[in-house]
Amino acid sequence: MSYQFDFVAVFDYSSVLLAGTAHTLLLTTVGAVAGLGIGILGAVSRAWQIKPFDRIFAVYVELIRNTPFLIQLFFIYFGLPSLGFRLDEWQAAILAVIINLGAYTTEIVRAGIEATPRGQIEAAESLAMTRPQIFRHVVLPPALAKVWPAICSQMVIVMLGTSVCSQIAAEELTFAANFIQSRNFRAFETYFIVTVIYFVLAVAVRQLLTQAGLRLLGRRAR
Amino acid sequence: MALVHIDALHKHFGSNHVLKGIDLDIEEGQVIALIGRSGSGKSTLLRTINGLESFDEGRIEVDGERIHPHETDLRALRQKVGMVFQQFNLFPHLSAGQNVMLATRIVKKMPEQDAVDLAKAMLLKVGLQDKFDAYPDQLSGGQQQRVAIARALAMQPRVLLCDEITSALDPELVNEVLAVVRNLAAEGITLIMVTHEMRFAREVGDKLVFMYQGRIHESGDPQTLFANPQTPELASFIGSIN
Repeated sequence: MSYQFDFVAVFDYSSVLLAGTAHTLLLTTVGAVAGLGIGILGAVSRAWQIKPFDRIFAVYVELIRNTPFLIQLFFIYFGLPSLGFRLDEWQAAILAVIINLGAYTTEIVRAGIEATPRGQIEAAESLAMTRPQIFRHVVLPPALAKVWPAICSQMVIVMLGTSVCSQIAAEELTFAANFIQSRNFRAFETYFIVTVIYFVLAVAVRQLLTQAGLRLLGRRAR
Repeated sequence: MALVHIDALHKHFGSNHVLKGIDLDIEEGQVIALIGRSGSGKSTLLRTINGLESFDEGRIEVDGERIHPHETDLRALRQKVGMVFQQFNLFPHLSAGQNVMLATRIVKKMPEQDAVDLAKAMLLKVGLQDKFDAYPDQLSGGQQQRVAIARALAMQPRVLLCDEITSALDPELVNEVLAVVRNLAAEGITLIMVTHEMRFAREVGDKLVFMYQGRIHESGDPQTLFANPQTPELASFIGSIN
């Protein structure tokens, strides 16, 4: 094998890599926060059968879970403009990530809510708490704690999945990789380094989320 | 005027007629022991008094607050009626103190410091003043049940409902909970308890209510009823317990 490795040719573009990494993290963060919010709303609607939202969320979840993320992204970016709903690549990417994660977290959080013992809700009712108070103070914190590991996994999956957004020219990390190797023709070195960055990001994000869960949700979020 | 007034109460679970016309008046400060075999309707009756179960016919009034059948907004009523459950039902993610404070903070909108002080006073009343920061899974069953009693008392209810509150406890833990209830009775709190602790019912109860097949079969002074049951059903129930 006579191939000469040249990683310096990649590091010449380190500012591009850095910007791509930052965009990937930003996309993930916004998607995670908003997606979790949607997931909580969807989960309570479905678990407590709040009409008509329970049906709306049921359809939404099935639609998203049974179609590829790339198609969801293309539909938002290329499809919606036909209806006069035009988004730039970042708006489309963020919207797609939120919609996608929202559907999965709806199902995950719902499992946590449904695991609440009936007696705890009765105890809260007999203390004259309202249903929103019961949800906020009695049901949600232990439910999130129970399913937090699954939520962390889903968020990491979504972060890795944001690489697909390069296909609509959102300049995240994969886009940066494609750009760099098209300039320096160092495909192996470029994708090797980007692989390492994704790996480190995934491990770091998982750690961060796990720690945040322990802090916010207490001892049960393991 | 009785504190709790129950009149011609009927309830069905599907085709099963579980309460067949209950009339019961409970005066302020009375301790009522509801006894009977499982399936006799005693827990269902108790749960209608704070609206955890709906009913089909009849009326219930607590301290002038009328409960209508199938009513959903029961919060005014529930501020007057506290409840303690067989399975404790503490909120597992909150410490003992936070369990006691939660409803006073968010339902009664009590200022933080007042709620803390009240929670400490209630935990002192049940002998757990040093467990304010302990979580439910760090407490024994008896301690958890005492926290549950403190939690109900913090809302300063007019009536406290106790649904077989010692049935899930190991035998050696029953007495610490009964001791708390005995103190409450001595303080003059109105108590309605479904119980299998016959000796306790006899000792602390002002009135014994024996339920049989969805009706009040016999009721009156506990000493008299235990010594001299008027119906063969009560006699056989007492015999089967002892």
